[in-house]
Amino acid sequence: MVNPIYIFIIALGVGFLLSLFEKAGKILTMTVFYSALAIMTFISGQWLIALIRGTEIMTLTTAGFPPPFSINLRMGLEEAFFTFFINSLGILAGIFLAPKFRSEKVYGMVLYLMMFMGMNGLVMTRDMFNLFVFMEITSVATVSLIAIDRNLKSVSAGFKYVIASGLASTFFLLGTIFLYRFTGLLNIEMMAEALNYASGQAVFLSVFILLISIIIELKPFPANGWALDVYEAADCGVVSVIAAGVSAAMLYVFIKISALLNQNLMITAAGIGTVTFLFSNLLALKQDNARRLLGYSSIGQIGLIYSAFSFFRLAGFTPGDQTVLLVVGGLFVNHFFAKAGLFWLAGIVKKDKSDEWAGLRSSPLLLFAFAVFILALAGLPPFPGFFAKWQLVMVLSAKGMFPAIGFILLGSFLEAIYLFRWLGKVLKTDPFEPIKIKPWEAFPVAVYLLAIILTGGFLSGIINQGSSLSVLYLPVLFVIVLFMLDFLPVLVKNSLVIVVFSYYTFRIMPQLSGYRIMFGIIFLLGGILLFIPGYIKKGRRLGFYPLAVMMYVGLAGLLLSENTLQFFTSWELMTLGSYFLIIRGKKSEPHALSYMLFSMGGAFVMLLGFGVLYHVNGHLLELATLARIPDMTGIIYSLLTLGFLTKMASIGLHIWLPGAHGEAETDVSPMVSAILLKAGMFGMVVLMSAIPAVKIGFIDIPYVLGWLGAITIFLGNLLAIYQEDAKRLLAYSSVGNLGYVLFGLALMSHLGWLTSITYALNHFLFKAMLFLAIGGVVYRVGTKNMYEMGGLIKNMPISFISVLIGIIALSGVPPLSGFAGKWLTYNAILQKGWYLQGAVVIIGGLIAFLYCFRLIYAVFLGQIKDRNRQVKEAPLALLIPQVILMIAIMVFSVLPGAVLRPVGKFLENIFPAGGLNWQAGTAFTEYGYWNGYWIMMVTGGMFMMVLIWLLFIDRKAQKVKQFNIVYAAERPFRPETTHVGYNFFAHYRKALGSLSRPYVTKFWDTLTDITHSSADFIRKLYNGNGQTYIFHILLFVVVVYFISFGG
Amino acid sequence: MLIITVLGIILVVLGLWGMLTQKNIIKIIIGFSIMDTGTHLLIVSIGYIKDRTAPIMDKAVGNASQVIDPVPSALVLTAIVIGLAVTALMLTYAIKLFEIRKSLDINDFKELKW
Amino acid sequence: MVKQLFIIITLVFLVIMLLPLMTEVKPFEDLSLVSQKYVNAGPDELGSQNLVTAVVVTYRGLDTLGEVAVLFIATAGIGFFLRKKAVEEKDMKSKASVLVRTGTALLLPLILLLGVYIFLHGHLTPGGGFQGGVVIASGILLLMLAQSDIKINISLLYWIESLSGAFYVIIGILGLALAGGFLDNRFLPLGDFGRLFSAGAIPIIYSLIGLKVGAELVGILNNMQRSQ
Repeated sequence: MVNPIYIFIIALGVGFLLSLFEKAGKILTMTVFYSALAIMTFISGQWLIALIRGTEIMTLTTAGFPPPFSINLRMGLEEAFFTFFINSLGILAGIFLAPKFRSEKVYGMVLYLMMFMGMNGLVMTRDMFNLFVFMEITSVATVSLIAIDRNLKSVSAGFKYVIASGLASTFFLLGTIFLYRFTGLLNIEMMAEALNYASGQAVFLSVFILLISIIIELKPFPANGWALDVYEAADCGVVSVIAAGVSAAMLYVFIKISALLNQNLMITAAGIGTVTFLFSNLLALKQDNARRLLGYSSIGQIGLIYSAFSFFRLAGFTPGDQTVLLVVGGLFVNHFFAKAGLFWLAGIVKKDKSDEWAGLRSSPLLLFAFAVFILALAGLPPFPGFFAKWQLVMVLSAKGMFPAIGFILLGSFLEAIYLFRWLGKVLKTDPFEPIKIKPWEAFPVAVYLLAIILTGGFLSGIINQGSSLSVLYLPVLFVIVLFMLDFLPVLVKNSLVIVVFSYYTFRIMPQLSGYRIMFGIIFLLGGILLFIPGYIKKGRRLGFYPLAVMMYVGLAGLLLSENTLQFFTSWELMTLGSYFLIIRGKKSEPHALSYMLFSMGGAFVMLLGFGVLYHVNGHLLELATLARIPDMTGIIYSLLTLGFLTKMASIGLHIWLPGAHGEAETDVSPMVSAILLKAGMFGMVVLMSAIPAVKIGFIDIPYVLGWLGAITIFLGNLLAIYQEDAKRLLAYSSVGNLGYVLFGLALMSHLGWLTSITYALNHFLFKAMLFLAIGGVVYRVGTKNMYEMGGLIKNMPISFISVLIGIIALSGVPPLSGFAGKWLTYNAILQKGWYLQGAVVIIGGLIAFLYCFRLIYAVFLGQIKDRNRQVKEAPLALLIPQVILMIAIMVFSVLPGAVLRPVGKFLENIFPAGGLNWQAGTAFTEYGYWNGYWIMMVTGGMFMMVLIWLLFIDRKAQKVKQFNIVYAAERPFRPETTHVGYNFFAHYRKALGSLSRPYVTKFWDTLTDITHSSADFIRKLYNGNGQTYIFHILLFVVVVYFISFGG
Repeated sequence: MLIITVLGIILVVLGLWGMLTQKNIIKIIIGFSIMDTGTHLLIVSIGYIKDRTAPIMDKAVGNASQVIDPVPSALVLTAIVIGLAVTALMLTYAIKLFEIRKSLDINDFKELKW
Repeated sequence: MVKQLFIIITLVFLVIMLLPLMTEVKPFEDLSLVSQKYVNAGPDELGSQNLVTAVVVTYRGLDTLGEVAVLFIATAGIGFFLRKKAVEEKDMKSKASVLVRTGTALLLPLILLLGVYIFLHGHLTPGGGFQGGVVIASGILLLMLAQSDIKINISLLYWIESLSGAFYVIIGILGLALAGGFLDNRFLPLGDFGRLFSAGAIPIIYSLIGLKVGAELVGILNNMQRSQ
């Protein structure tokens, strides 16, 4: 194996001689230069592999004397890891910068090489003063390269940087020399052993000065204005090295130095890191310059990493512990790849403003890379950051460090806001300027794209703690295959997905038991059914299939998950897939963002809940342990509930839903509405079936949830009646519908749950059908506004029938299945004695009639518009699933026992008493009985009688022309005001206006405004003056000292 | 307490004062230089042992008990050279800034902020 | 002057913070653990009479190599930075006085000689490569002042700089290959203690450093002069 000292020898030797090579030609010079980088990478890579395989750690002594008498270097696993990453970055960023190196003087390459030599030294040396030397090598080389473009911005940024890093290294020098005074040593480990804090304040002070100088190099908030300027102004290739490489080296220096810290200083470091993470992400919210935004994000990520490390040390982990490596390594790798990649993309796009990046869409590879990097930074699976963050939260939870988790999750959430805003803008902004892609620029991006995916997979394998994620591997592999097959036409991909999905369902369904079967039917069978409408699309529909499948993978994963890790991973996969589905709609960008933010917020709250669970139940991950929580039940219950409710869109957390469902594509709306909403319900069922009763203080949480459900029903339905947009009407109605589900669950009784679960199935059936039917109408008519429709019954009879059946089932009138739900609900309410809530629920149910009526009237009845005269029936691909759903509703209506009995049987495990008594097809409760078959017969009979009677008395009825206004109450073919269906329930709005005002929206808007304006206020402290930045640093040092000394 | 330690710290603080209050970039760099010098003085002061001489083992110096600590002297040599390099680089920046904007006032370079 | 006040307050707090360094820290009473070994064993192990040099060049040789690298990087950075040659002619500068020119002619050889002497005797007397290099550069500076239109042979500078640097690294490798480790000076015989040819590779290393530092500083001066 090659002695690691050759890394330095090669770099220095080549560096010294490179200017001589220049005389022999640029090609030769560049060949030598890249070979040097390659050899450096090779040496560290070789060591990395060898050390993973168990080779002994190499301690290098220079000058032939052992430490502490000479400087020694170390090549252990951590060093190999860091140097390998840094050197690989050296090659890739070098390739990215190739044109610059070609056109510049040879010094560019020399400086670049020296910069990497310095970083390697920072990682490998174990001598304090030598650290200083390498720090200076790195920073002097960096500073020289920052101004590679020699324009005003980069030069003035570079000047701020050189002053700031000069100040930092002066502090470092001071700390080092005084530590030498106290210990007589310069070797870091020996120094740490010899250090005696008890001997006086000066020791603490010296270590503090040393620490703070490293932290300044790591760019803490608020003493980091100088670094932000550099991120914004310097060349992208150079910045990628600073953000990923130099930060990595300094991070490892911090880790080395941490051996010297006492408890107090460790807390200080952890605190600074957390604050930096939180505030960087907060300030980034107001940032519209892409590179400065990335700068904020980089600084935040680095803060997170060193605070995570410090927290782990405080929690008693040794630096080499595997968990520490997993978390710190995972977070680091995630940041490293993503940030380098994003800065390269910034160099490729060449746009300052982050909302002008849509040009990326001209290259699928780069767009994919961008999305992956963003998702990785946001901490979503299957990327390394996700696993690291999970593990971090679990470990901190185990030690009870909940405030720290709170800060970290809050920071992560703020980060998600701007990342997804950016992603949405890139995906949706039109028109865009195509970008020119040069192979040497795209290649490094592609390499790190691959790397981040592979490390994600690798981490998913080692995280398991006895809970393997292997159940998700094959499905995710299929997603990857779909990405690769994305060039195929829709017809092929749709069929492929249906076939594979069917096979998967066939394999999975037998593994399910209990209520999971019910959800399996909705998630999996329903999923297959709702892929059929996909055939209406033509072309390739890039990106749809992999991500749609990813959503279903997540849903299936939820069904199969046995522990919180699997559950959470699946949950996030589902969120991720559905986000990309929702954002496909034409005007979906803001709605998809709002969906994602509620989902991410919910997921973080849920993660905290799982953390608390991990804390109290003896560090187990099994979901089954929910049933035997010794302590903090109320907190866990509330946190998880809050997480699930965001997906169920309960009132207060619902504002994302109307837009997200309403603006989605024709076949996506039913997926996200009929299927995806049930994921939240599934979570609630898992939770509530494990924890039957829970109180916080005097507050009975299910009771609160009951009220929440009732109000959701009422307000959801009320808001639905005012909608002019047919799909939004359906979307609001879903809010109300899920209110029933929540209400039923909150009853915490056999009947309540029976109601809820059957209602869920029912909702799946009718909402899928309605969205398909209305989607078909919209598809044909070309508008979603109901006042531009009307009279379509003759043109679209099948759609009419399915809407008719859908609204009958929805409104819960006999004879269809909805009635079963209603009947059960009222029985359950009576049984529980929640009369007041019951009243709200009943009124809410009445309101549902209003919008149901409107839906059928305004769309299919009345006068047809001229424009719509030629409209044809919806395409077959939309009709087939509707017909299947119709049949399902009919069967369910006639034979409700087929569903209710098995569900009831299962529910006896949870609620032994209070179920239905079945005698043949008739169900009995203490309040009455009910038989679906007879209801169908009686209602059908009555309907027939009325029909026959009407036909009999109206024998003389005659058809009139449309414009015969004697018979028609409208003046046809005029703007919307002439459509009777327009603003149909204006009178209700007058009466109930105060209830329908958007308080909730206003609340969230205000919250957003406050956050943004505080970000805007705080960031004013970066006034651009280099002198102020020096002052920031000094003030920071002094303030932190007196805090950490006092504290 | 060594007078030279106090002197070093005074120089460091003076240098910082210069860096924080002077508007002229050259003067800021001078401030940095003063601070750097202060640090060097501190380093030297650490190695000093009363009544001893330089660690050059010629005939005049017989044994180990007569010399000061050679390590800080070695370190300060490195630190001085590095300080020189950094200062030179800062000056180069100053030249470049002046070339671009014809000004050396630090307040004139505030394009990047927030 | 609120801002000034803030600065003063901060600096006062900084002084309060640094106070323990003045009050609590006493100077060494005796040599530290490490330096004891250097002082006691250094002369025998490395054969260098000047122990600071022994520490600089051998015991902490990697620092010195790094230090050389820093200076080298700064030179490269400055060269990289100030690449634009000044277009305007420099003859607007007034010529140096006769006194300066004569003095330069007289002193320059002596200064150069002193520089060489300093780095050659680095292991024996105070001084060494850096000091010698600086002296040499100061001689050239004097020359530049005396004859502002003088053209420095840049190519020669490159050669000196590059080769001396490369040889320094090669000597380091020789130490690794033939003696105890990278930058070990003992692959050459230690010679008689106190003589010019002693202390193994130390005089060679210091000479190379002297040449390199001299060349680099001249390069920096040259660059800065040209860019004005």
